[in-house]
Amino acid sequence: MSTFVSDALAIFQRELLRYRRDRAYWIGQLAFPLGVVAFIGFGLNDVVRLPTGTDYLGHLASGVLALLVGSSGVGGGMTLIQDRESGFLRVLLVAPVSRASLVAGKVLARSLASLALVGVLVAILSTFTPLGLPHPGAVLLAVVAVTVAFVALGIALGAFLRSAESFRMLAAFVTLPLYFLSGIFYPVSTLPAATRWLSYANPLTYGVDLLRYGLLGVNEIPLARSAALLLALTLGCAALSVALFDRESR
Amino acid sequence: MESRPTNRAPAIDVAGLVKHYGDVVAVDGLDLRVEEGAFFGLLGPNGAGKTTTLSILTTLARPDAGRARVAGRDVLAERAAVRRELGIVFQEPSLDRELTAREHLDLQARLYHLDERARRVAAALERVDLAAHADRPVRGFSGGMKRRLEIARGLLHRPRLLFLDEPTLGLDVAARAAIWAQLRRLHAEGETTVFLTTHSMEEADALCQRVGILDRGRLVVEGTPAELKGALGGDVVVLGFEAAAAGDGPARALAAVQGVREVRPHEDARRLRVTVSDGPRRLPALLEAARAWRVSDVELHRPNLEHVFLHHTGHPFEPERLGDRP
Repeated sequence: MSTFVSDALAIFQRELLRYRRDRAYWIGQLAFPLGVVAFIGFGLNDVVRLPTGTDYLGHLASGVLALLVGSSGVGGGMTLIQDRESGFLRVLLVAPVSRASLVAGKVLARSLASLALVGVLVAILSTFTPLGLPHPGAVLLAVVAVTVAFVALGIALGAFLRSAESFRMLAAFVTLPLYFLSGIFYPVSTLPAATRWLSYANPLTYGVDLLRYGLLGVNEIPLARSAALLLALTLGCAALSVALFDRESR
Repeated sequence: MESRPTNRAPAIDVAGLVKHYGDVVAVDGLDLRVEEGAFFGLLGPNGAGKTTTLSILTTLARPDAGRARVAGRDVLAERAAVRRELGIVFQEPSLDRELTAREHLDLQARLYHLDERARRVAAALERVDLAAHADRPVRGFSGGMKRRLEIARGLLHRPRLLFLDEPTLGLDVAARAAIWAQLRRLHAEGETTVFLTTHSMEEADALCQRVGILDRGRLVVEGTPAELKGALGGDVVVLGFEAAAAGDGPARALAAVQGVREVRPHEDARRLRVTVSDGPRRLPALLEAARAWRVSDVELHRPNLEHVFLHHTGHPFEPERLGDRP
């Protein structure tokens, strides 16, 4: 067990070294949510009245942060493909470390990067939107759980794909419905009944709701249910991704 | 349960190994033994099954049949133990372009749970002459530098076995010479068993103590380069005369020279082909014996591994073709 932790930390540190040098990643991840809030949020703020009574700017800002965490997570899964393309993955696979510790190290690194991004963005957004940090614990849980689930999704997709090119296309195809059916842009309760059920099967829905509670203090779904379902779905995704990765990398 | 390997277990012990990829048989009943401490080369043309064999021995591929033991441990049942015992340098690049040389080695040291990491990493960089470039990202490295870093990484945890897959493929002459020197020094100073694959006859002959020739997934012959070449019967001297000889005078005179095994006519009527042991030393005596028939020119052919390959497989060692690999 202790070697699992030290192996995961070694991988974690290597991922952080990479992120630190990837200036485009940070600029892109900071600019996108600010752009969405500035260009769409202000435009729609006076047009859209939410049945929940929340200010639309706050709703959208918190949702976009969840979107950021999700897409950053998928990107984390994609680093596995990049490692395969560079040949570096074989070095990790032939080392006496478990596949689970490799996945854990990558997840840990993405979680930390996403937490840092959310922290910086909340600080900026809180100056001109209702966003704050009333429940930091909920934010922490939502960010880590969504990251785990989406890194796992990325790894699961990556297990079947050989090139970063096809990964990007398929990832967009798979994740866009998850984003639109998660309450990021509009509350789940406003969806027609059929699609609403799809939303309830989407782990991101609970992550978005929990994150929104953490940042605005409002939620659509009972908190305990959100937390429990999110954790269960996340653990399921993680187990599935480790199993797929293990099977294909022998 | 892991079995306890004895000290005298061979470094590599393979019996009846088979591996298919779809309809293609990559390894077809391979038997191979490499003793501890050897410098062994697996020589074969592209597609002979070298990389597949290496993948199985390093636990990255599962055999369809047969068994393989590395450092006395089974590659399937004792995968984790095998991984701890081996170091590997892959044929394809295997570096993270964004990390520096030192960061690569430091990660390796952590993954193999080494103590005194900083000291070991510094010493390893020194050994492969990369100390001056330790903190540069490897994306700026030349092919030879990358290869040296990969060798340093493969050796960092002092593995009992070092596997190298075509270690000098694609390198220029100078970089290749540097790698050869490094591998010789490494083998001379330690107890590491070195197992490399190559499709370069020259590399196998110059570098390896023992060579196994692989063709179509099977081991054709195995021995020291000198043994393999010596078994072919000696050197060949081709003598050219100013005019085609009438009768068998020159042939009889040459056959009487010490060390000569056979004298045969050449397709060119003005020439004779003499098989002789230790050709360079017999050359003066051969010329002396043939002097009366006025020798115009002479060629000396020493057998190389290419002849060995041809002799044992019945077909020439294929030249490297582009687009051969998947």
